[in-house]
Amino acid sequence: MIVETGHFALVLAFALALVQFAVPLVGARTGDARLMAVGGPAAVAGFALVVLSFFALTAAYVQSDFSVANVWENSHSLKPMLYKVTGVWGNHEGSMLLWVLILTFFGALVAWFSGNLPATLRANVLSIQGLIGAAFLLFIFATSNPFARINPAPIEGRDLNPILQDIGLAVHPPLLYLGYVGFSVCFSFAVAALIEGRIDAAWARWVRPWTLAAWIFLTGGIAMGSYWAYYELGWGGWWFWDPVENASFLPWLSGTALLHSAIVMEKRSALKIWTLLLAILTFSLSLLGTFLVRSGVLTSVHAFATDPSRGLFILAILVFFIGGSLSLFALRASSLTQGGLFQPISREGALVLNNLFLTTATATVLIGTLYPLLVEAVTGDKISVGAPFFNMTFVPLVVPLLLAVPFGPLLAWKRGDLAGVAQRLFGTAGGALLAVMIALFFIDGTGVLAALGIGLAVWLMLGAVTDLALKAGIGNVGARVAVRRFVGLPRSVFGTALAHFGLGITTLGIVAVISLEIEEIAVMRPGDTLTAAGYTLRFEEISPYRGPNYTEDQGRFVYFDAAGRRVGEIVSSKRLYTARQMPTTEAGIATRGFSQLYVSLGDPTADGGVVVRVWWKPLVLLIWLGGVVMMAGGTVSLLDRRLRIGAPAARRERVARPAEAAAE
Amino acid sequence: MLFWIVAALLTLLACLAILVPMVRVKAHASADSDHDLAVYQDQLAELERDVGRGVIGETEAEQARAEIGRRILRIAGEGRGTGSSKSSRTGRTIATLAILAVPLASWGIYAVTGSPELPGQPLQERLTANPAENSIEELVARAEGHLTANPEDGRGWDVLAPIYYRMGRYNDSVVAYRNAIRLQGSSVTRELGLGEAIAANAGGTITVEAQAALERALVLEPQNPQAQFLLATALAQEGKSAEASQAWRSMLAGLPTNSPWRGAVEQSIARLGEQPAIPGPSAEDVEAADLMSDKDRAQMIEDMVAGLDQRLRDNPQDAEGWQRLVQSYVVLGRLDDARDALQRGLDALGRPSQPAASLETFAAERGVTLNGQAE
Repeated sequence: MIVETGHFALVLAFALALVQFAVPLVGARTGDARLMAVGGPAAVAGFALVVLSFFALTAAYVQSDFSVANVWENSHSLKPMLYKVTGVWGNHEGSMLLWVLILTFFGALVAWFSGNLPATLRANVLSIQGLIGAAFLLFIFATSNPFARINPAPIEGRDLNPILQDIGLAVHPPLLYLGYVGFSVCFSFAVAALIEGRIDAAWARWVRPWTLAAWIFLTGGIAMGSYWAYYELGWGGWWFWDPVENASFLPWLSGTALLHSAIVMEKRSALKIWTLLLAILTFSLSLLGTFLVRSGVLTSVHAFATDPSRGLFILAILVFFIGGSLSLFALRASSLTQGGLFQPISREGALVLNNLFLTTATATVLIGTLYPLLVEAVTGDKISVGAPFFNMTFVPLVVPLLLAVPFGPLLAWKRGDLAGVAQRLFGTAGGALLAVMIALFFIDGTGVLAALGIGLAVWLMLGAVTDLALKAGIGNVGARVAVRRFVGLPRSVFGTALAHFGLGITTLGIVAVISLEIEEIAVMRPGDTLTAAGYTLRFEEISPYRGPNYTEDQGRFVYFDAAGRRVGEIVSSKRLYTARQMPTTEAGIATRGFSQLYVSLGDPTADGGVVVRVWWKPLVLLIWLGGVVMMAGGTVSLLDRRLRIGAPAARRERVARPAEAAAE
Repeated sequence: MLFWIVAALLTLLACLAILVPMVRVKAHASADSDHDLAVYQDQLAELERDVGRGVIGETEAEQARAEIGRRILRIAGEGRGTGSSKSSRTGRTIATLAILAVPLASWGIYAVTGSPELPGQPLQERLTANPAENSIEELVARAEGHLTANPEDGRGWDVLAPIYYRMGRYNDSVVAYRNAIRLQGSSVTRELGLGEAIAANAGGTITVEAQAALERALVLEPQNPQAQFLLATALAQEGKSAEASQAWRSMLAGLPTNSPWRGAVEQSIARLGEQPAIPGPSAEDVEAADLMSDKDRAQMIEDMVAGLDQRLRDNPQDAEGWQRLVQSYVVLGRLDDARDALQRGLDALGRPSQPAASLETFAAERGVTLNGQAE
């Protein structure tokens, strides 16, 4: 009964989504307050129904109710409880339900927190949100119903794809979806603004936190997915420029641009067109990502099932929303009033530059991702665009952007003083140069690029610190005043500095791993040793082990430091999930500071040895730690509930202390 | 029944979610510019707080105040009239339609996609229900649950093993037989079952492992016909037709006249005889060969091959025959003759053609190619 109740609740949610779309939209057109008022309660009720439905499916998984086709296909009665629950979204149908759950959740949030929004804007936003929800619910019923039943019910399920039975994968999809779907709110706001033909202060004030929230989740989701790929897939890579990864990276890039654009929009009423376009673009890229991942166009872990009807349906949704919103944009954008003016050298100018770089980078990744698909569709040839393409196109675009990052926050609004800012960044540049020198000294001057990369990372991190120090007036005012001003700095300033600092951390991790990684491969028999990066690894034994729904051969290693002291043990194993007869590798990882020793077992050789691959990954954890710091920065900024305005720099008189002018 | 009550309640609540706001809202809407004004006023207040905290200088604050002032003036200039709200007849029609749409759409779609008559079937509930109501799969699952908890229960494994075999779960059957043998000791039935299960798991091939189990059964009961029969079949599968035939014949000799195995054994012997095996001596030939001296046997085989060779000279359009001839020469170690046969075969079949190509592949797989030729 609980299963059918969930099914019915989902159908009811679809009916409510239709009402949520149509009624407030008409209300906003005709100025009927009663009709407009329907949007909020419909959104909240729709959310409650989808929660009920999601709960019903989860209950079916927990109770191993194999009369539900979805449970039978993706669960097993012996699976640990955690993976029974995460299995709900570890498959196509369930993950679409999660998508709709999060979509309606954001719809409900808009309804709850938009009390002081102009009524027509609120009605239009909720209406668009309802339309997106209705489209995806229709998709679920038409092609991927998670509540389809089997009669008579099988006695045992087919188990979840083993590489998805992992805590990383339990967290990664919800985070990623919170990001993807979070941008739907920005999209709805943008389309609502276009429908109304005006964009105002309240609009900007509302869009920024949504963007920020979505961006935080997306950052977390991408970092989590990357870390999972790193430890679970067994070859120690953290980013492959795989189309599925790109699909999540694209909205992140344009979302980052949107974030910066929205700040300008809120504080200075400028960059309206940029903000609107980026809001539409970001959600469109999220939809594109969903299409690429869900349609089976790409064969990967994520393409749970390849069913052409699903692909076509999502393609139709994609064309409808992207095409519709862009046409609306083309029709209405010219009628929007221009906002605050600014000079090219100013904080606004810097952010435009940032947007240009980020959108170009987005376009680059988009081309690299779609080109092989287009070629295959047109000529039938299979080509692959791999890391070399992205290294040649994406990296040269990002490096100048990263170089420019510390300048941005120091420039004044409206009209800035580039020479003055450069002067204040002397210390930072000095620090970065010092880092380059130290790096060169360390690695014997052979890795010039690595040294420069480390310099870039230090430049970013010191730049963020410098920004804070200057805004607190350290060095210009007395210590006590400086401390008081530091504490009094708005949270958004800390947020900016933290996020930029996190970017530096990630850069440092990437540069270190790319240029200083050490890889060793050897055939080892028990008792053999292998030396990598000053650590000596001794292969102890291989022993069988039995888990709840798998069996594995565990390779046990002991490792010693350069002085010969025993540091610890690493267990690396090859697993066989019995229900699907599917093998996986479980890498053995030992963490030393921010670096890791990564041991992966290969195939056994005929003479009783086993192929062992060992990597020394210097500072690898910084890649994801940087992501966490960026998320923290975003959160701090999100907690800054102030209404904000950027104080413009004066035209005639030179500002006495430019550092203060830059303060927000 | 309960489901329908719940569904009806949910529908009612959904309709109320639409109805209530329409009834409660007063026909008043504030102008959009009011909201803008509120935002700007908040911004001014925030500016004063920043000045108070010292994060912003007085000069910049003055600039900012001027700018906010300009924005306020702009919305005042736009002069958007207060949004008058009207509750028109169209509005009421739409409201009615919306409230009707919810039950109609939801019950309509659910009628197509739902299965209201199917109760939920949580596994635990199915397994603790009265065993008389259980299906065979459910009974097996119950037994499995019991054995997971008590893996040392040999009797349980013993019962489950043949059931697995009948259900086609051969791999599980192998494991169950092994456990039963480990815990309950070896017996003819268990060893026979294990042998059969291993063979079924290998797609019918009686593997070395299966043979070992069958031989253990024979040790316990030397005259067991099933074990004897299967071991002979294993010989036949390995291509040792002579040994297989002999094994079956000696088995036939030992069987009582009314044994149900006689038919099967006789059929097997007959099938072995008529098999057009490559190079194809009949069972009688082989039996005769067994009685001959090595030299005589070699002569007999040579004669047969020569006969085939001659037949192909007379009737060269026999693609299969050419393959058999090449194979025969390879088996006899006469590689030059094999190459010669290939050449003649290719000429006779005419290149390029499908039979010629497959003859060439067949020969190449056995290491015979036209050396010195263009290929």
